[in-house]
Amino acid sequence: MSEVRCLNCLKRFLVPLKTEVMACPYCKTKYRISWPTPNQAKVRGLA
Amino acid sequence: MLAIDPEKCTGCRLCETACSIHHEKTCSPERARIRVTKWENEGIYIPMVCQQCDIPICETVCPMQALRRDTKTGALIIDYKLCVGCKLCMQFCPFGGIGVNEETSKIIKCDLCSGDPVCVKFCKPEALQYLQVIALNLKKRKAAAEKFSKYLKQMLTAL
Amino acid sequence: MVVNRKIAYINLSTGKITQKIVPKTLRTLYLGGRGINMYLLYNHLSPKIDPLSQNNILFVGAGLLGGIPCLGSGRCDIAAKSPLTGAVGDSNIGGFFAPELRFAGFDHLAITGKAEEPVYLLVRNGQVHIREATHLWRKDTFETQTIIREDEDDEDIKSLVIGAAGENLVRFANVRTGRKNSAGRTGLGCVMGSKNLKAIAARGTNPLEFSHPDDLLEYCRQMNDMITSTRWAKAQSRWGTMIIYSNTNTAGLIRTRNFQLNQLEKGQDLEPENIDRYSIGTSGCYGCAVHCRHRYILKSGSFAPLYGEGPEYTSLGAFGTMVDCRKMETILVANHLVNKYGLDTLETGGLIAWAMELYEKGIIDNNMTDGLKLEWGNEEVLYELIRKIAYREGFGDKLANGFREAIDKIGKGSEYYAIQIKGMSNLHSDERPTPSFALGIATSTRGADHLRSRPAIDMYGLPADLLKEIYGGPVAADYNSYDGKSRMVWWQELLYAVTDSLGICKFQTVFCAVHAPQWKEFSRLIQLATDFKFSKDQLMQIGERIYTTERLFNLREGFSRKDDDLPKRYFKEPTPIGLPVARNKVIDREKFSEMLDEYYKLHGWDSMGVPTTKTLKKLALTKKPTNLL
Repeated sequence: MSEVRCLNCLKRFLVPLKTEVMACPYCKTKYRISWPTPNQAKVRGLA
Repeated sequence: MLAIDPEKCTGCRLCETACSIHHEKTCSPERARIRVTKWENEGIYIPMVCQQCDIPICETVCPMQALRRDTKTGALIIDYKLCVGCKLCMQFCPFGGIGVNEETSKIIKCDLCSGDPVCVKFCKPEALQYLQVIALNLKKRKAAAEKFSKYLKQMLTAL
Repeated sequence: MVVNRKIAYINLSTGKITQKIVPKTLRTLYLGGRGINMYLLYNHLSPKIDPLSQNNILFVGAGLLGGIPCLGSGRCDIAAKSPLTGAVGDSNIGGFFAPELRFAGFDHLAITGKAEEPVYLLVRNGQVHIREATHLWRKDTFETQTIIREDEDDEDIKSLVIGAAGENLVRFANVRTGRKNSAGRTGLGCVMGSKNLKAIAARGTNPLEFSHPDDLLEYCRQMNDMITSTRWAKAQSRWGTMIIYSNTNTAGLIRTRNFQLNQLEKGQDLEPENIDRYSIGTSGCYGCAVHCRHRYILKSGSFAPLYGEGPEYTSLGAFGTMVDCRKMETILVANHLVNKYGLDTLETGGLIAWAMELYEKGIIDNNMTDGLKLEWGNEEVLYELIRKIAYREGFGDKLANGFREAIDKIGKGSEYYAIQIKGMSNLHSDERPTPSFALGIATSTRGADHLRSRPAIDMYGLPADLLKEIYGGPVAADYNSYDGKSRMVWWQELLYAVTDSLGICKFQTVFCAVHAPQWKEFSRLIQLATDFKFSKDQLMQIGERIYTTERLFNLREGFSRKDDDLPKRYFKEPTPIGLPVARNKVIDREKFSEMLDEYYKLHGWDSMGVPTTKTLKKLALTKKPTNLL
């Protein structure tokens, strides 16, 4: 799991390793996710 | 051994700087035991350092037998009590692994920092690693096999 | 280490070269790098000189900590009166030049006068030589460096050079070193061109000494661990500064089509991850464990094959979102072109985007643009216009003196569309949803500029308590808010003034990561390297002295509160798209004005932005400018 910050509500949520698309559980904004390191996720763009 | 992976080197020269401060107490790439050789216009960076050869030419040509091997680390060490500074070792080394401190005329070369090389500690991209020879071989083998396995997988899925 | 460092005064008109020791007292007041450059700029320049005259002085300064093995300690600061803005001209450059200058025995250079024929300077082991450079004139920024190395038969020479833009006195020509590094902003390459100075080359074998080498080495190792353990550095190590695009474009904080939109829709090809298609690895500046730029190869297309480095987030906006070009390849080509010609990427992109909007609005037409169709997303026009600016051809010549003159020449209400402050283009960031950034670009001493303060820490959803702890006073956690944002801008301005004076990289302090080295760590590094002892408060006061000196320079040149303002569109046109947090936002005129008041107060300046007598006294700036050195 890696933590990602929602770019809309700024809350943090956990992303399971290797996940490529995930919605923020709080505000439901849906993101594409990428992995600069195998253990660190970041938002790539809107899904 | 001090293993070099030029593909990972970013050319930042932290290894040089750290090496010179550790050994010479000053920042002076000229006096570092390790140097990054660059082809700036092509983006190629290769750290060059003594390879601690099994059949060391430097030791062979030294008229004073001032080079001896550290049994613990395998590094070739200069005995400064014997060294006369003739620079034959420098001239014969095929890697440019031996240098001279211009100020003191002292011959300088990598001594593997008694088994804990400072340059490795400063190399975040891990272009420099301090490994057992067997471990390095295993690493290289595995990296090559991984590439091979990708091709195999592609072939299998194509079938 | 410190007391024996030298400055060389070089008069290109007379050929006279004088060397002096940088006094210790000056170090305690201004450290080095940008700090000492700002002191020199304020004290050595006569007021209101023509920036392109012989009287302008180009200052080159290495940082106080230049050469230490951590935090990208190879930064070099270059300064002069800006030919673009008429205000403080100052730009910071990475790469390997500054340490080489130090190994050559100098920390600072002050170059005045004008050479009759093209020359370059060679600074080598305690000596400065003026060399003939007619054969280098018209060579691009890459060739120039190679030829100097061949001429001097020394591959280890590092040079600051100018390209076609500097030679042709484009007002936003930059100074370059290596394949990628640029002192991009405020037109310092133009100042070099005006002096017939093609390059400054350095080479030295003198060691740098430190007060406590063993402890310094160990602490530097810890500093590298500290910065590389941050999430920001890990992502930046992988994809460079372009990673900012993932956040700003996704949210809607990025100028698109000049200033019409705040997000590039269908901008997926510009995502930093796509650099992997072209990258052969990353590259680091001197002493940097983060290595934020890519080494890339373009194998196809009309400019192929080419090898380049970068691109930065800045170029992604300059040649991507702002001009609505949506291909990574366009960015890579344009980045290569501006580097080759020696143009500031940001100013060039900003002007072209503005021209494209004017073309769309019918304010300019084919007659003015030499038949070039300045349509959004037309990359061929983009490349051609970059070339025309560098060589001052046709419409390029109209843009080559920057926004102020271009607005005068074009007229017809074109000023409204120009996203510039004090005559300098803004970054491609859209600050309407972020009042802190808006204040930062308005107050920056060198014109619209994100790097004087870049107050980004409130964008991470951090608790207000933590922000208060960092900034020493209340700062609203919400980045849309105006509350406490003046404090953020002020604090970051002081921090970066000191960072630039130490010669370390801004990315490796509190820039985009909270848990990065700052005052306490700087204090320890300075002590171990030089034995100077500065507390956090003392360092902040040095930052204040540097920033206030820059302010005094600008006031003397006629700038005032009215110039610390935003383009009108920030107050009038709400952001049309983006996530809710960034949509439908404008800057509130009244709240902006209040922020400005608070900001002046924090600096100890009066309501017109003039430093008070009390402040000048506190900062030891009461004396009339004198040539102390």
